[in-house]
Amino acid sequence: MRSEDGHLSDAQLVAIADGEVVGREARRLEEHLTACWQCRSRRAELERTIAHYVRVHRNTSEKMPPMDESRARLLARLVQQSAAAPAASVSSRRLGRVAYGTVAACLILGAGLVLYFSELRAGATPVPDGQLTPGATRIVTKEDLCSVEAFDGFYPIPARVAFNVFESYQIQNPRPRSYEVDYLITPALGGAEDIRNLWPQPYASGEWNAHVKDALESHLHDLVCRDQLDLKVAQRDIASDWIAAYRKYFNTKSPLPDHVAFSVDPPWEN
Amino acid sequence: MLVPAPAPLEYEIVELFTQFRNPLLRYVSALGLPLADGEEVVQEVFLALFQHLRQGKPRTNLKGWVFRVGHNLALKQRMRNGRREKLHGLEVVATEHFAPGLNPEEHLAGVQHRDRLLAAIETLPEVDRCCLYLRGEGLRYRQIAEVLDISLGGVSEMLGRTLARLSKVEGC
Repeated sequence: MRSEDGHLSDAQLVAIADGEVVGREARRLEEHLTACWQCRSRRAELERTIAHYVRVHRNTSEKMPPMDESRARLLARLVQQSAAAPAASVSSRRLGRVAYGTVAACLILGAGLVLYFSELRAGATPVPDGQLTPGATRIVTKEDLCSVEAFDGFYPIPARVAFNVFESYQIQNPRPRSYEVDYLITPALGGAEDIRNLWPQPYASGEWNAHVKDALESHLHDLVCRDQLDLKVAQRDIASDWIAAYRKYFNTKSPLPDHVAFSVDPPWEN
Repeated sequence: MLVPAPAPLEYEIVELFTQFRNPLLRYVSALGLPLADGEEVVQEVFLALFQHLRQGKPRTNLKGWVFRVGHNLALKQRMRNGRREKLHGLEVVATEHFAPGLNPEEHLAGVQHRDRLLAAIETLPEVDRCCLYLRGEGLRYRQIAEVLDISLGGVSEMLGRTLARLSKVEGC
């Protein structure tokens, strides 16, 4: 509907901006806009208002309570609901068979959820098990690591090795793209492709996740190659407590916003 | 090589929760629920979604479904709370959101501008506000129409009217 003076209404201008007008009508309105300064100017005003609203609105995202706890709570409630689901209106003659089926289904579901929870437990721990993954290095010099050809930022891990890593952490059904099978000491810092130097690092382990560790690895490599950090110290720091190392080298208590989505190593996909 | 097990419904619900929890929580908070109540409403929505899908009901437009159920549960909870509706979510978070490089005058102007915008939003009819919030959470007009049970044209008119009112505030 046009306004009385022949110009486009605010509703039409907003709908065009929102991509809600299509086909012949969209072409017709666009033609009007092309010719009409007044409507274009009005559309710009409305767009500015939207932009301002979005700025205010965006702040709400930063104040949301953490996701992990809510998600775990929901999952626990879903499990409870699944377990409590009644077998409705069955005849007594079939009761035994249904009960047997229900028990079997619960066992299968339970086993699945145990696996899932075992993943969540692993996921809740952003640092490796010190017994399983103490870290291992190969014999290299700083020059070996810092030459152009030595570092391409990506060190693929064979599927067989990844399988052994998951098995050692008792993760039997790793969900694709949920983990990075990660070197505790990255090869860029002389870490070895050895099961003692690998662990399944979940992306969804709160703020201290695989993306953030990737950022630390990259930073330590830069420091070593710029002679600002001894290679052995870098190896020791990242192997003993990579979160403490991150805090130390980035001088921050929490991961920096740019690092939350930082990624060098690819996720495990199977 | 490991073969991933087929994801059961519980996993799917958790994935959907991860996707929609924050937008939905922002929305129900903006309807006037304290965050704790909002969190509970969101949990209820996804438990209901679990039952919905478990019963083999339609999977079309799950985002619209989630927001519609969230909207209804939030209004019920608000009635139970007996609270006066207000822009809880936005009020709580309307703190500093301006560039750190601003001088004190610019900062003050920004704060006043923002406060005018929030005050103007608070004076909107509730359905207009809901329309705005839902659009702000990325819902398309058809989805908004379903959530609020209004016509497609109604959504368009409300958004046009709302933005016109807010742009007057912008012009102050």
